[in-house]
Order: sequence, then structure tokens, then C-alpha cells
Amino acid sequence: MLRLFATIRKELLILLRDRGGLAIMFLMPMTLITIMALIQDAPFRDYQEFKIPLLLVNNDTGNLGVAIEKGLKESKIFEIQKEQDDEEQVKKSIKGGDFEIGIIIPKNVSELLNAKVNQFVAKKLTEVGFDDPSKTNTVSVAADLNIQILFAPETKKSFKASILSSLKQSTSKIETQTIMDIFSKQFKTDDSQVSKSEPIGDFVNFAEVSTIDTPKEALLLNSVQHNVPAWTIFGMFFIVISLAGSIIKERDDGSYTRLRTMPGSYINVMAGKITSYLFICMIQCLLMLMVGMFLLPHLGLPKLVIGNSFSAVFIVALSTGLAATGYGILVGTIFSTHQQSSTFGAVSVVILAALGGIWVPVYVMPDSIRMFSEFSPLYWALSAFHKVFLNQGTVQCILPFALKLLSFFTFAIGASYFYNKAATK
Amino acid sequence: MTSTIAIEVNHLIKTYKGSATPAVNNISFRIESSSIFGLLGPNGAGKTTTISMLCGLIKASGGEAKLLGLSISTELEKIKQQIGVVPQEIALYPTLTAFENLRYIGNMYGLKGERLKKNIFEHLEIVGLQAQANKRVETFSGGMKRRINLIAGILHQPKILFLDEPTVGVDVQSRNLITEHLHQLNKKGCTIIYTSHLMEEAENLCSDIAIIDNGEIISSGKPKVLIAEHSAENLEQLFLKLTGKKLRD
Repeated sequence: MLRLFATIRKELLILLRDRGGLAIMFLMPMTLITIMALIQDAPFRDYQEFKIPLLLVNNDTGNLGVAIEKGLKESKIFEIQKEQDDEEQVKKSIKGGDFEIGIIIPKNVSELLNAKVNQFVAKKLTEVGFDDPSKTNTVSVAADLNIQILFAPETKKSFKASILSSLKQSTSKIETQTIMDIFSKQFKTDDSQVSKSEPIGDFVNFAEVSTIDTPKEALLLNSVQHNVPAWTIFGMFFIVISLAGSIIKERDDGSYTRLRTMPGSYINVMAGKITSYLFICMIQCLLMLMVGMFLLPHLGLPKLVIGNSFSAVFIVALSTGLAATGYGILVGTIFSTHQQSSTFGAVSVVILAALGGIWVPVYVMPDSIRMFSEFSPLYWALSAFHKVFLNQGTVQCILPFALKLLSFFTFAIGASYFYNKAATK
Repeated sequence: MTSTIAIEVNHLIKTYKGSATPAVNNISFRIESSSIFGLLGPNGAGKTTTISMLCGLIKASGGEAKLLGLSISTELEKIKQQIGVVPQEIALYPTLTAFENLRYIGNMYGLKGERLKKNIFEHLEIVGLQAQANKRVETFSGGMKRRINLIAGILHQPKILFLDEPTVGVDVQSRNLITEHLHQLNKKGCTIIYTSHLMEEAENLCSDIAIIDNGEIISSGKPKVLIAEHSAENLEQLFLKLTGKKLRD
């Protein structure tokens, strides 16, 4: 027992005197829990807490157009911008990422609704013998009452269903009200005397208009297109642990001391490490993409489509690999023990992945978190892959992201170099 | 016979950041070529700091040192080509074989091809490890690792060799083989700077010594002369006379 207590006391003393270790043990999980809770909470919250950018084109001057617009505003879930665009322009704005949803209310839908309700009421009255069909206005209204709705290509089905249901709720009010008004006119009586449990027609339809132009783009709306690049990036960044570990091990066992007494600078030694680990990253990326292209289809999933530009894919993979190795070198340089570097490396990559939209798409995150996404190298990498895979992006399209990743790499290597230099003084 | 100077140290100072007292305080000494120089001192005396400055691992706060006539402050890269370092730690990669480790180190010094391979196997043969060339270092005993560690420092045939406790933790046989090999190297013209706590080994190996304490050299010269001057029986007794019996941490 004495040995046991002595060991416990010794371990606790060591831990309490290791400030870096304490920070990793307590501050990092707290940060992780906070960020993850915020991010994961977002998709489950009521949509009223979100402000979804919506492009509204209201060509109707009647009640229905006004009611839909009012309903959208009252729902408080949309950030509405009104334009007079045509379908193509709306599609372009959504594909360009400016809006998540587009709604086009056609001309004269209010008149069409009235006509359809009149037809419905006349039919119902005839069925119960209250009217002579010959005297009733039973002009057949063949045209469909369609409100066009467009979603961003990456929008998930469940999210679409929720939005459509919310919109349907707002239009059903005006449908019911219109029916009540016509019944009242027919019977010259109060609305309340009409049974509201009477089944009514479903007059207003929300017709989803595809934002996809080519059959190739149609393949992009699946989990494979998101998850393969997302987890490839995550895996590439996870080399931080082994890279940082190797730097620390060399420092601990004296190999690094020996290396520093050899001809050639620190940069030469680091360049060798960067090249090796970058090679690993590229192999990792290649294998992951091959899994998406060749293995997943055998498991009943769609095949990964990697776009039209192999050069763009290569540049994205290369810049992501460099960012990951740079980060690994920085972590290995700054931290003094393997435990510290591996814990920090793992947790920080998880945080950066969460912020970068690896698990939850960035657009459903709250503004306060989305702001930080812009600073995650994993977000830059994922955005670049999405540009190539989802939008058929070219080298030019991904250059801004690649430059950000390369800047991150340069910063990490520069910081490591100066940190190391300062340590030898 | 004229002798040349391999290392010349003039008023070398090192004060670490945040420390009020210098770790090495204004030391000066000369080491002749082809000598075996023992830098001896208790823990924290300044031995490692001195050697680290001479190898270019840390920068001196003041003073100057020249190795083979080259300044440590301006010609470090040239110096690195001419020196070898055998650290106290087993600075090898455990999952690589002995040959792979030595090949990597040889390559770092610009050695390559068949010449390097031949060189490696010759050294392995001398230290009795030729048969283990393709075995992982992690499977070796402490003595075997020490021998590989030594080869890693001399593979490129340095003119000056720094040895930090090269025989610590090894059996008598391995220690004997290492010291014999060091003598052979010295005969071929290699200047050796050696630190150790093993006074008997230092007495037998070193042609010259300097005893350093509290960052200052308190005595230097030929071991036998110093022992006689201080009426000591051996180097250990001389060491205790000069540095005291107080424990150092």
C-alpha cells in the first residue's frame, strides 16, 4: 500500500507542476466541449433561431403573394432579399453560394387560387345537393398553382423537408381563409358555421426547381461527395501527431543534437521531414479518393466524382498536405513532451475540423462559430475540394484557398524556425 | 617535434537567459592536435555548456574559440565538416538497423555509395558488430548501442571528436573495446575531447586534462604532473581535492 500511495503522490506532484500538461488536460477539453456543443446544437435547434439567406422573387400582386411574403417574414427564419430576377438568375445566385433558398412566386397566383377555390367550393356544394351545377361557376381551372422553390445543391433532404413544411404552413392559412370567404359568400353566413374539419383542397404547391444543370452535377448530391474529401482532409491533418512525435523523440534521444552538429542547416533537416510527410499525405489522399471512387460504389453508395480538373485536385491535395505538415512541425517544435504534442495535436485538429465543416456544414452553424470557420485550414481545404467536386471548379477557382493553405504552411514553418533559433541562444 | 593547436578557447562566456550567474565564466585553454583532452568536472560545472558552444549547439555570450583555425562564430559550417560528436544519449533510431542508422548519418556528412558501405562495415568489424549490421538497434544491448553510437560520430573521419560520457552504463568488455578504438583513432591524428565521471578511465585515456568547476577552469595540464603537484595518489583524489566533497545537483 505504501508503494501505491507513494506512486500516486509522485504522479500527482509531477502533473501539478506540468503547466502545459494541465492546460491540455483541462482547458483543451473545455474548449472542445464548448465548440462542439455550439456546433452540434445548431442543427437541432428550431429553425427560428437561424437566419437562412433567401432570395424572393414575388411577381404576384394579389393576396397570396403578400401572404407568402408576410409568412416568410413572420417566420423569422429567413434573411429575405427581394429581387425581380428570372429563374436562371435565381439559380445562378444560389449556385454561386449567395443564397441557400430561392422562391419564385409567379404572376397572378392569387387569381388562380381564387378560381381553384371557387371550383372546389362549387364541387363540394354540388356533391351535397346545395346547388345546381348548371348555375354554379364551375369553369375548370386546369393550370397548377406552383410556387417555385430552389435549394443550394448541397442542401440536405431533411433540411429541405423542414423548410417546405414551414412554407406550406404559411400558405395553408391563406388557402383556408379563401375557402371560408367563398363559403360565406355562398351561404351569406358566418365562417364559424362552416365545419373547419371539412377536408380542403391542397391548392398551392411548392415545386422544387433543380439547380443542377448537367447530369454530372446530379451525381454530386450525396454524402460521398461531402464525406470523402472531408475525412481525407481530417486524416491528412492527423499526421500532426506522428510528425510532432518524431520531432520530439529525436530531441529527447539526442539524435537532434547530433543532427545539429552535422553540416547543413535546420531547414535541410526540416525539408527532409516535410517531404517525407507530404509524400505520406499525398498517398493518403490518393487512397481515400480511390476508396470513394472504387470501393464505396460496391457498398451501395454513389461513386465519388472528382470533377474535371485533375490539376486542381492535385494542387488542393498538395497545399492541404503542406499545411498539415507545417502544422505538425510547429506542434513538434513548441511542445516539449510527446504526451503534450499528441494530445494538443489531436484535440486541435478535431476543433479545426469541427470549425471547418468536416462534421456539420458550415452554413448551418451559428454566426458566432461561422466567423471562426474562416480561420480553419481544414475549412479552406474542404471549400477547395467542394469547388472542384461540386462546382466543377478549375485551378483558378481553387487558387485563393490553395494560397491560404500555403500561407498557413509558411507561417508554421517560419514560426518553428524562429522558435528553434531563439531556443539555441 | 612541433605541435599545432586544434582548439583555442579565449575568454569564453555563456550566460543562459534568465540566469544571473554565467554557466561558463571567462575560460581559456588550448588543445594540441592529436591529443586526448579530458574536460572533467562535477555535475553542473560547465562541461556540457563548453562543448555545446564548441560544437555550435549554443551561442557564446562572450569570448571566442577557434577549431582548426576556424572561428565558431563565423565559420561554423566549415567546422561542422571537421568534427564528430558522440552524445551521452544513444542518439540512434531504434527501429532502424545498425547499417541503416550509420548509412543515414554517413549520408548527412555527404558520404555515399560503396565507399560508405565499406566504411560502415569496416567500423562494425572493429567494434565486433558486423554480424549485427542488419538487426534493429532496439534489439541491441546497452554496450552494443554504445558502440554503434561511437561509430556514428567517427564514420566521416573527423579531425576533432567530442565524446560526452562515451562509456557510461556499459560492461567492462565494451568499455575496453571503446577505449582501445579511441586510442587507435588518436594515433591516426584525431584530436579527442572527452568528458567523463570515470576518473580511472580518464587517467588512462587522456594525455591532457582540465578540471572545471562553477564555470571556471581550476586546473589543467598532464594528468601525472597534476597528480604529483597536488600530492594526490590518483586522478580521483586530485579531483576531490580540487572540487571538494560537497554534493552537486
